[in-house]
Amino acid sequence: MGLIKQTPAEGVRGDTRTSARDCPSLCKQLLAAEPEVRRWAARDLVDCPDCSEALVEALQVEPDASVREVMLTSITRIGDGTAVNGLVACLRSEDAGLRNEAIEAMKQLPDAVAPIMLGLLMDEDSDVRIFAVNILESLRHPLVENWLLQVIDVDDHVNVCGTAVDLLGEVGGAASLESLLRLKVRFADEPYIQYAADLAIKRIQEN
Amino acid sequence: MADASISEDDFQKFREFFYRKTGIQFDMSKRYFVDKRLLERMADTGNATFRSYFTMLRFQASGVELQTLTNSMTVNETYFFREEYQFKCLVNSLLPDLVSRKKDDGPLRIWVLPSSSGEEPYSIAIYLLERWAGIHNFDVEIVASDIDTRILEQARRGLYSPRSVGQLPTAYRQKYFRQVGEDFQICDDLRGAVEYTRVNLSDRADTRAYRNFNVVFCRNLLIYFDDVSRKAAAETFYDALKPGGFICLGHSESMSRISSLYKVRKFPEAIVYQKPTE
Repeated sequence: MGLIKQTPAEGVRGDTRTSARDCPSLCKQLLAAEPEVRRWAARDLVDCPDCSEALVEALQVEPDASVREVMLTSITRIGDGTAVNGLVACLRSEDAGLRNEAIEAMKQLPDAVAPIMLGLLMDEDSDVRIFAVNILESLRHPLVENWLLQVIDVDDHVNVCGTAVDLLGEVGGAASLESLLRLKVRFADEPYIQYAADLAIKRIQEN
Repeated sequence: MADASISEDDFQKFREFFYRKTGIQFDMSKRYFVDKRLLERMADTGNATFRSYFTMLRFQASGVELQTLTNSMTVNETYFFREEYQFKCLVNSLLPDLVSRKKDDGPLRIWVLPSSSGEEPYSIAIYLLERWAGIHNFDVEIVASDIDTRILEQARRGLYSPRSVGQLPTAYRQKYFRQVGEDFQICDDLRGAVEYTRVNLSDRADTRAYRNFNVVFCRNLLIYFDDVSRKAAAETFYDALKPGGFICLGHSESMSRISSLYKVRKFPEAIVYQKPTE
């Protein structure tokens, strides 16, 4: 017993995978019984941009967290329109874990998410609008402040505005002050909005 | 070489390309570092302009120049017994845990990545021989990998400066090294005990064959990666590890911020991350 090194014939490796790696086969493997096969298929599909639809469909029914995480990474890396639409669909899922994962993935895709951000912020479902603000939390995009201002200027839902105000306190500049004052008037009866807007104003003025 | 300069556009173009190929991202603060190396490679390959060099880099069938450039872009500096607390954790906590669950006769397998010039894998080898009684009862296989082919050659040669071996107890230095001029060369037994392989962690074709490891050491590498590449690396390690296997990151790195695949395990010596036992 002790330190050993395998002979070159044995190799240092243990790849026993026999599955085909062409794109159509990989798509089928997304539904294989073994999580390991699905995980590898999800990983290799990153080189098959036309397969993002298969990935997002599989994501919504994938029970294994480790496979789901790999699927989300591949979807993020592909980052095309289909991939982003698939992530948006996840925002509407009843599965809180999947929703959070989709939010995290979308934060990584500023250029792909930017064109649909206004649509998300005007979605009829207030939860989706809140998730959209959550995405803005760390989306590296120059329009983040503008989008947040749009929310607090027009959205009627107190929780959506509250989420946006919290974030404005971090990322907002002097241009946000007027909108924050208007928001206080719009929600004059909401103590939380008064408190959050005052705090955001104070933070912006201190910076 | 009138046009031997790197413009802002050139830098951005190179940065994107290099990131896609290696997962390593350079921000603007690294501009000088990157420009210097690009200009050196342009001069060495006889390319008068960035444009012609970049064309060669992208379309060279052999990929030799990309590898050479990668070698020059990756920084390799470490020393023996660096972040020793994790080696203590390995012998006092991780290996006993693994051995208690071990059901097969195969060796315990440790993957060290990046290997750099070998200080870390050889430190682990010394630690196992000196501080782990279980080495008499179990076979241990150490595989060490790096993206830099030049540094792998250095690791195989095993020749180190006095500064590099400065943290080693004198008794170990005397036992496992021989002095070569002012430097120290690690003994043949240890050089023969570590398998060195070239791996690009961001290349699935490179990494898919690495399986069945019990412990992965990946310290201070992921800090050079962006969020998505870090996640992809964590997923690669997930498949490389056996169920219940451990991954050790650098002291400033946290798997919890990268991926939810692993369980956090707090041992007396260190926090490490464990693939679920399934």
